Amino acid sequence: MHGFINNLPEQVDVTPERWEQVSRIFKSAIDLDVDARDAYLARECGQDELLRKEVSRLIESHQRASDDNFIGTPAFVSSDPGGKTFANGQQVGSYEIIRHLGSGGMGEVYLANDKRLDRQVALKILSGELAHDKRRLQRFQQEARMASSLNQPNILTIFEFDEVDSFNFLATEYIDGETLRDQLRGKPLRLGEVLDISIQVVAALDAAHEAKIVHRDIKPENIMIRRRDQIVKVLDFGLAKASEVSSVTHATDSEIATQYKTAAGTILGTVNYMSPEQAQGLRLDARTDLWSVGVMIYEMVAGEAPFTGRTTSHTIVQILENDPAPLSKAAKVRIPDELERIVNKSLTKSVDERYQTAKDLLVDLRKLKKQVDLDVEIKRSLAPLRSDVTAATPTAAVVPLPGPKSSINRNRILLLIGGVVVVLIAALWAINSLRPKNQNNPASVSTSPASPQRTLTYSITVQKYRYNKPFETPFQLGKEMIFELDYQIRLNINSAQAGFLYVLNEGPSDKGQPGEFVVLFPSSTSNSGSALVSENHPVQIPDKSWIHFDNEKGTERLWLVFAENAVRELEPIRTFASPKTAGLITDTAVRDEVQAFLRSHSNDKPLVEQDLDRKQTIVSSRRDLLVHAIDLEHQ
Amino acid sequence: MTKVSARTQHEITGLLEEWSGGNQAALDKLYPLVYEELRRLARSYMKREPKGHTLQTTALINEAYVRMVEQKSVHWQNRSHFFAISAQIMRRILVDHARRYLHLKRGGGAKKVSLDQAMIVAREKSEEVLMLDEALENLARLDPRRCQVVELRYFAGLDNKEIAAVLKISENTVMRDWNLARAWLHQQLAGAG
Repeated sequence: MHGFINNLPEQVDVTPERWEQVSRIFKSAIDLDVDARDAYLARECGQDELLRKEVSRLIESHQRASDDNFIGTPAFVSSDPGGKTFANGQQVGSYEIIRHLGSGGMGEVYLANDKRLDRQVALKILSGELAHDKRRLQRFQQEARMASSLNQPNILTIFEFDEVDSFNFLATEYIDGETLRDQLRGKPLRLGEVLDISIQVVAALDAAHEAKIVHRDIKPENIMIRRRDQIVKVLDFGLAKASEVSSVTHATDSEIATQYKTAAGTILGTVNYMSPEQAQGLRLDARTDLWSVGVMIYEMVAGEAPFTGRTTSHTIVQILENDPAPLSKAAKVRIPDELERIVNKSLTKSVDERYQTAKDLLVDLRKLKKQVDLDVEIKRSLAPLRSDVTAATPTAAVVPLPGPKSSINRNRILLLIGGVVVVLIAALWAINSLRPKNQNNPASVSTSPASPQRTLTYSITVQKYRYNKPFETPFQLGKEMIFELDYQIRLNINSAQAGFLYVLNEGPSDKGQPGEFVVLFPSSTSNSGSALVSENHPVQIPDKSWIHFDNEKGTERLWLVFAENAVRELEPIRTFASPKTAGLITDTAVRDEVQAFLRSHSNDKPLVEQDLDRKQTIVSSRRDLLVHAIDLEHQ
Repeated sequence: MTKVSARTQHEITGLLEEWSGGNQAALDKLYPLVYEELRRLARSYMKREPKGHTLQTTALINEAYVRMVEQKSVHWQNRSHFFAISAQIMRRILVDHARRYLHLKRGGGAKKVSLDQAMIVAREKSEEVLMLDEALENLARLDPRRCQVVELRYFAGLDNKEIAAVLKISENTVMRDWNLARAWLHQQLAGAG
């Protein structure tokens, strides 16, 4: 006897009640340890010895099935069952395979550890003709290396090409994230996301095109978005060209067309991003990439690609002859007219009437982004007051829609360190109010012959919390964002010079009373309680902890003070930097002096630059004292 | 051979809608269409892909879905239905191929497999697939939902989250169903073997 059913086929007709009984007991029992399980079975099955045996046997099978990984991997369709793929833990040259990441355009991709440098890399195994054609491989390597060497933050960095056991592969930086294809999956993205992503893609193309590199295969599968900070990376420069035809040098234009079409006929859905000139097998230049970007933007906004057909040939006809449905109609939400214009211009069939350079497209996208951000800001500040702040609010990047979506609660809030977290929603308005008048010309900072005497670079890390536990990976705050329940932040500060750093939090004033001050840095746990920091030595504030909000209302201010010498007025605050008082300055005399000092210096505004790519803010001053405030506002 | 390309996406979308609405006859019409498309896609994919490449069935089904169903008008539920039917079809395709493959192997003489037959389940899996298919028949009579969980996971390659979405049950329930069904199937196969 093996099972309670298999040897007695008629028992397959076991009553549904019996089966329900067995499964109910089974599913509770497998979570218990052996002793508890026996007791549980005895209790549940009572006199029914047969039932107890059935369940026990099933539990045994469950354990064996788990141990054997029985039917644990799906029945894949495989072209070559004996085909060689790498196993987890396998050594490939100086790399150790960690796991299979996926199968990309030209082969499989693995996460691996480079043992020489002990760093994680993505290994892409090149397969197909490309891997076996020395000349094409060389051409690919050359172009891919060239693109990588541009050091553009949105182009995937290639570490090396190598060959081990006749496997040609390239090692690239590993991006923990998703492809744009994964993010799309049939749903449109928000306007802010669309613009952020496309600006970065076009920035990568701009750099590549300047270096005379055309990508030729821009599509969502080739765009990675890093989970941590949403930085976009364009993959596979040089690959499309190298894998297009088998003997490029001898192929005539019509041959290219035929071969591409033949290949396209079997490529699963990838002709959608092809430009008309590409579909016809004509000579390609950088403008083909701009078309593909247009297709992607359209798809990101509308949730569906502009040119689709039942078959590849139908799709190609669409690309060559038809105009897509207007984006404003295809989009589910209202979109700016300018976005439609940009997409239309990218999707102009005649190359000469299309965007001519990535730079032109980039300028238009950035301009639009600025406008959208501004609209959101205006919309928000004009929105009617509402007492209900718990309503889910879209992030700042969302296109302003008619109707009261979000509003500012102008009440004041108090920021506490280590306090009880009860915040509902808070918005961060980094530096807006403190930006110097000449902010439109940040170049004046970098081109100035006299370098600033004081420079601080800071970024804000945000950690989401759910049920008092960290939730998702912390990320850098870009511009402004909506904080939800339990969001916590910390400051990362790097000083370009050695000096004395003080970081304070000023709470909102309460009925005319001055706000509370909380010391964030120095603290007794970091930097040995000293305000002196060395040059280019990053500090994290608060040390090993996070800034929590409580549900008091108002505008919070984080003060950064950086000086060549110890600041007499601020030195006394160090006595209050103790975890016991959570940094609260309890001595009113000290508090008043701190306040007076900050007030008297708050007019000497430093220059503020924002590096949106790195999500950093750079504050510099030509004085030996730098005072800068970051506002955090409740909404 | 029914040419899927002769049918419009519109028709297929309509059939999905009808089937969602409870019309079983629609399923009978839908099945061969999806079947042909999945086979065709798998074949053309194999022609293009270099040796050693593995194609996940989910990718295949996704692709078929994108090609066959009007994205504009389709309801989310239709996607679930599409996956459910595709899982059944993939099961049939894979079982057919496993059967043919094993037959070829046992019959000897047929060392070369044609392209069509090259789309086979992995060598070591062929037996597993056939035996599992039989056992699943029995499970389906006893417990259709848990059978479907296995089908979606093993034959369509969906993960628990996706299965939960298709069957409209929680991920926890999927996990529990899977544990039970797998234990039961293991018992069956251990008994048979």
